This record gives sequence, C-alpha cells and structure tokens, in this order.
Amino acid sequence: MTENSTIPAVILRPPRSDFRRASLALAVAAAAWLLPGLGHALLKMWGRAVACFFTVGLLVVLGTGMRGNIFSRNGDDAFSKLGYVADVGAGSFYFVAKSLEQEGPDVSHANGDYGTRLLATAGVLNLLAALHAYEATRGRKT
Amino acid sequence: MIAPPQLRLSHLQAMVIFAIIISVAFGFLSRRSSFERAKYIVLSLFLFLLVGVGLGWAMYPFSR
Repeated sequence: MTENSTIPAVILRPPRSDFRRASLALAVAAAAWLLPGLGHALLKMWGRAVACFFTVGLLVVLGTGMRGNIFSRNGDDAFSKLGYVADVGAGSFYFVAKSLEQEGPDVSHANGDYGTRLLATAGVLNLLAALHAYEATRGRKT
Repeated sequence: MIAPPQLRLSHLQAMVIFAIIISVAFGFLSRRSSFERAKYIVLSLFLFLLVGVGLGWAMYPFSR
C-alpha cells in the first residue's frame, strides 16, 4: 500500500484541471462582458443569454433615446470616472450607445437624468451577468 | 446607424419601465424554472414599485 492511497482523490487531482477551469471561466466572463448574453450562450443557458442580451440592449436603447449622459474615459471628477466604469460595463453596447446618441446628452431635463441612470444600469447589469457566467463555469452556480 | 426615437417619459413611466427590465433580468439570472422565475419577477417588480412610490411620498414634504 502506497502512501497516496489514503489521500482523497480530490487532493490527488492535478491542480492543472482547476487552473484550466479558472481560465475557461475567465474567458467566458470576458465574452459575457464583451457581448451581453454571450457568456451564458457559451454555457448553453439560452434563456439567460436571451434575457441578458435584450435587457441590457433595451436599457441602452432607452437610455440613449432619453438622451442620457454616456461618460467618457477622461472624466473630470470621481463621479465621472465611476460613471465611465459603470457605462463601459455594457461591453460592446457602450460603443453602440455612443453611436446611437448622435445629438449628444441632454441632462437639463429629468428625462436625460433618467437616461444616464439607465445606461449605467445596463453596464452594471451586464457586469453582474458576467460574474454569474463566471461562477456558473466554476460550478458554483446553476 | 438608425437613431432611436427621442423619448419623453414621465417619472412614473421611467420608473415602471426600469423596474420591469431589472425584475426580468434578476428573475432570469437568479432562478431556473419558469414558475420560479415568474414568481420572482412579479415579487421583485411589486417591491420595486412599492419602494419607489414609498420613497416618493416620503420625500414629498421636502419638495415645497
């Protein structure tokens, strides 16, 4: 009897498989961030993929339709930088929003203010979905 | 690219649309079966609207 026979199989498993799983999870999370819903589509979670794509897309379309502010990288203050982080969370939809809003933001009315919030929510929601896809790939979520 | 139509929504309309979209997203992300999702979406939407309207009324005395 060898010394290894008393060690559970889980510990004997080479750490490489865990590393591969973590790498795969990161790739899925990156895909989920780049295109809303793609991460879940790669995991064959079709309902979630469609829901992510359409909810993030709808928030972006409504936000730009309400002429919300899309923050850019070179913000003046901390709030602008934070807004940029939230907006860019929408991945490729950030650039879609930029191209949709041709007349620029108008936050002089409540509508524009709501639009800003909707755009930020689209980004944060997509980040949440990317995190969910990451956790699902790691086997921590179903 | 086609520009989206300019939207003019009231406060309530904006809040309701926001609540519906977020409730659907949360429901699909956090539950697996269709029934559980529907239940979660309805409950989440109700709570969103309740808290939104409640906060609106709570701030009413300070709006004058």
